[in-house]
Amino acid sequence: MAEKRVHWSVYAFGVYLLLPLYWLVNMSLQRNQDIVGEFAIVPRNPTLTNYAEIFTNPVWYEAFGNSLAYVSINTLVSLTVAIPAAYAFSRYRFLGDRQLFFWLLTNRMAPPAVFLLPFFQLYSAVGLFDTPFAVAFAHCLFTVPLSVWILEGFMSSVPREIDEMARLDGHAFGYFFFRLFLPLIKSGLGVTVFFCFMFSWVELLIARTLTASEAKPIAVVMTRTVSASGLDWGVLAAAGVLTIVPGIAVVWFVRRHLARGFALGRV
Amino acid sequence: MQRRADNRAWFAVAPVVVVVAFTAIVPLMTVVNYSVQDIFDVDTRLFIGFDFYRETLRDPRFAQALLRQLAFSALVLAIEIPLGIWIARALVRNQGKSATGFLILLSVPLLVPWNVVGTIWQIYARPDIGLLGAAVTALGIPYNYASNVLSAWVTLLAMDVWHWTSLVALLSFAGLSAISPAYYQAATLDGANAWQTFRHVELPHLKAVLTIAVLLRLMDSLMIYTEPFVLTGGGPGNSTTFLSQYLTTMAVGQFDLGPAAAFSVLYFLMILLLCWLFYTSVMRGGDDG
Amino acid sequence: MASIQARDLRYTYRGATAPSVSGADLDIEDGEAHALLGASGAGKTTLLNLLAGLFFPDSGQLKLNGEDVSERSGRERNIAQVFQFPVLYPAMNVRENLAFPLRARGWRKANALARVKEVATLLDVTALLHQRVQRLSLFEKQLVAIGRALVRPDVSVVLLDEPLTAVEPSIKWRLRAALKTVQRELGLTMVYVTHDQVEALTFADRISMLMDGRILQTGSPQRLYEQPHTAVVATFIGSPGMNLVSAQVRDQWFVVAGQLLAPAPGVSDGVCQIGFRPEWAHVRVDRESDEQFALPVNLTGWRAMGAVGNRTDALLTLDHGGETLFVHQSGDEPPPPQCRLYIDTARMVAYRNGVLLARPTGNDAA
Repeated sequence: MAEKRVHWSVYAFGVYLLLPLYWLVNMSLQRNQDIVGEFAIVPRNPTLTNYAEIFTNPVWYEAFGNSLAYVSINTLVSLTVAIPAAYAFSRYRFLGDRQLFFWLLTNRMAPPAVFLLPFFQLYSAVGLFDTPFAVAFAHCLFTVPLSVWILEGFMSSVPREIDEMARLDGHAFGYFFFRLFLPLIKSGLGVTVFFCFMFSWVELLIARTLTASEAKPIAVVMTRTVSASGLDWGVLAAAGVLTIVPGIAVVWFVRRHLARGFALGRV
Repeated sequence: MQRRADNRAWFAVAPVVVVVAFTAIVPLMTVVNYSVQDIFDVDTRLFIGFDFYRETLRDPRFAQALLRQLAFSALVLAIEIPLGIWIARALVRNQGKSATGFLILLSVPLLVPWNVVGTIWQIYARPDIGLLGAAVTALGIPYNYASNVLSAWVTLLAMDVWHWTSLVALLSFAGLSAISPAYYQAATLDGANAWQTFRHVELPHLKAVLTIAVLLRLMDSLMIYTEPFVLTGGGPGNSTTFLSQYLTTMAVGQFDLGPAAAFSVLYFLMILLLCWLFYTSVMRGGDDG
Repeated sequence: MASIQARDLRYTYRGATAPSVSGADLDIEDGEAHALLGASGAGKTTLLNLLAGLFFPDSGQLKLNGEDVSERSGRERNIAQVFQFPVLYPAMNVRENLAFPLRARGWRKANALARVKEVATLLDVTALLHQRVQRLSLFEKQLVAIGRALVRPDVSVVLLDEPLTAVEPSIKWRLRAALKTVQRELGLTMVYVTHDQVEALTFADRISMLMDGRILQTGSPQRLYEQPHTAVVATFIGSPGMNLVSAQVRDQWFVVAGQLLAPAPGVSDGVCQIGFRPEWAHVRVDRESDEQFALPVNLTGWRAMGAVGNRTDALLTLDHGGETLFVHQSGDEPPPPQCRLYIDTARMVAYRNGVLLARPTGNDAA
C-alpha cells in the first residue's frame, strides 16, 4: 500500500498519552513549595533535589531493591515451571490436558482482592510473610498461567518435525531442548519475561498485603508516604518517574520480540 | 504431525500444578471454608451454610457497588474497544518509523505501576496544581474529582482510557498487521467503500484478537482496585466504590471474614460467568476469523 | 473487455537503487490470454501491480482500449484480480462473496443473484453456494476467488498473480483448465503472472518473458520455444533449457570442433553459439554417413524419464569439450560412453553476443 499520512486523531491520542507523563516529570523537577505556590506549565526553578532525596533515603532505594527482588524471583519461578508445562501442552495429548489448560487460564480471572486474606494467612503460616518470596509466589497465580499460554503459542509454531529430527540425529533430549529448541523460541521467552515483569512490577494490592516493613516494595512506599508525610508532591512525582523507567527499559530491550509476539496473537 | 498421546507429559506439567495449587487452590479453599462458617476464635466455629451468601446478596451496599461496577465496565469497554481499533487502523496504514515510535509510546502506560497511574492522574487532574484540572477549571467548568461525583467518574474513565486503550490498540495492530494487502486490494477493486472494507475484511480478521482484548478488558475492569483507590479512595461518598474496594474494606478494614469470603466467592463466580457468556456468544456466531 | 498498450513503463520502489520495471512495452489484444513469465525478482509482479493501478508508473504510458489510464486507480480502470492465495471475505458464504462486487457497485439483488448463478455454473461451484468459506478446500476457495473476479460482466482486464501457487500440484491442472475454458468462453483479456513456464506455455496465447525489469521477448509459446530471441530466453525456457555449443562462422558456414555444421548465409565471420533443444538431436555410436556432421561426445549420465509407446524416454547428459549438453532420446539401454551427436540443423538456432542470428536455413516464418 502506498504510504499515507497518519490521521490527526492518532497524534491527538499521542498527546493525550503524553500530557499526564509530561506533568509528572514537570512536578518531579520542582520543589513542593513551588508546586503548591504558583501554577506553571514549565518549571520555573527546575531542580533535582527530589531525585536526590530518593537516592539518599534508604526507605526509598531499599524499596526499589525489594521490588526488583520479587519481580526477578517471580519471573524466574514462572519461567522455570512454565517452560516444561508449555512444552507438554504443545507436544503431547494427555489425560485432562484441555481441562487443565482451561483451569490455568481461569486463574487469570480471579480478582486479587478475593485472595488477599487467604494469602495473608497462608504466607504467615509458612513464615514467608514480609519477604520478597511471598509476593513473588503470590504473583505466580497470574504470571504462571499467562507464561504457559504465551509459551505454548510460540512452541506450537515450531514444527514438531524438529523434535523428531533431533531424536533421529541421536541428540539427547537435554541437548535438543536447551541447545536447539529454546533458542528457536527466544522471542517467546522475551515476551514471557516482559509480561511476568510487567505484571509483577505494576501490581500493588497483593504486594501491599504481603509485606510489612522489611520487604516493602516501591509502590507501597509511595502510597504510604502520601499518607504519612503530608504529601510532598515533588518527591512523589520523582518516585513515579523512577518507577516508569524500568518498564520503558524492558520495552526497549524486547521491542523486536514483542513484534513477533503480537504477530502470533499471544500477548 | 499430530500431538502424541503420552500421559507421562503430566510430569512436565506437575510443577505448574503444584505452584498454582499452592497459590490458587489452597487460598480459594480457605475462602470457601470461611464463607460457610462463622468463626469466633481459633477453636470455636459454627457451620452456618449459605447464611453469609444470603446476607451479601441482601446487602444494599453490595448491590450498589455491583451496579457501579457494571456501569463502569460497560463504559470502559464502550470507549476503549472502538478507540483502540481506530488507533490501530490509523497506525497500520503507515508502517514507517513514526509507527514504531508510536507503538513504544502506546506500551508505556501498560508498564506504569497501577498505583502510580493513580498518582499521575491525581497530580494531573487536581484543580490547583494539575494541568488538566487547571485547564478545565479555566474553561469555567466546575470540576473537582474529590468532591463532585460527575468529575470523579469522568476522571476515572479518562484515567482508564489512558491506562488501557493501548492494550486494545496493540492487539488490534497485531491483528491488522497480519492481514495481507491483497485483501485490501481485492476490496478496492470490488468497489467496497471504507465501511464495507472495515466490516467485511478487517473485522472478521480481527475476531480472534478482539475476543482476547474484550475478555482481558472485561475481567480487568471488573477487578479494578488500585487506580481509583489512589485517585478517589472510592469517593466522593461511595460514588466510585467498586466491588474490589468494597471487598477490601470489608475484609481488611472491618475484618468481617465470613461475609467477605462469601462476597469473594460470588465475585469470582460472577467474573467467570460474564467471561463465559461473552466467549460462548462470540463462538456461537460462527467459527470464522 | 479491453486491449492493453503499455509504452516504456518504469517503476522504482522507494529507497531501491535499481528500478523494478525499466522500460516495459506491452501490447495485449482484447480477449487474449497473456502470461508474464520470469524468475522471482524479474519484475513481473511489479508490472502486474502497475497494470492493477496499485502503483503508478514513474514514467511511461498505459492505455486500456486506447484510453490513457496511467493516472487512474485500479477501481477506475475496472480491473479484477486473482491473488496467489484465495482472497475471500471470511464472514460471508460463497454466494455473498460472489455477489459482493456487484452489490458494492449498486446492482439490484435479483440481478446480482442471477449473474452469480451464471458464473457459478460456469465454474461448476453451484453446489457450494450456501457453504461457509471456511469449509471449502483450498482448491474450491481459489475457484470462488476466480469467480469473484469474473462476476462483473463489464470488467476490463482480469489479472492473475501466480494463482496456482497455493493449490496442490495434483489438481493444478484442473484449475488451469477451468480458467482456460472460462477465458475462451467469455473472451476475457487475462494477464497471468507466473514463474512456471509449463503454466505459461500451456495457458497463454502469448507470453512476455521478463528479466531484470525488462521484457526480453513477447510471442506465442511456440515462438518462444523454437525461436528465442536471446540466449537467456533460450536457456530459461524448456526443462532442461536449450543446449548452447560454442561455434564459429567461417565463409558463411557454422563451424563446430573443426567440422562444417550448416550453411550460414549472410552471416559475417566470428564467434557464435549454436542452440538446439534436447529433442532436436540424437546420439549414435556409428557414423551415419561421412558427409553428415557429427559431434564426438562423452556420455556422463542417463536417466529414464517415462515411457513413449513401449520404449523408454531417457534424458542423456553429454560432455563436449567441457560443455554439458542434454538430449532426449528413446531407448531402453544407455548408449556406450563414447558416441556421436547428430543435430537437426533445420531447427537449430544461432546466437552471437547472446542475440539470435538470422536463421541459417531460410524458412523464417513461424
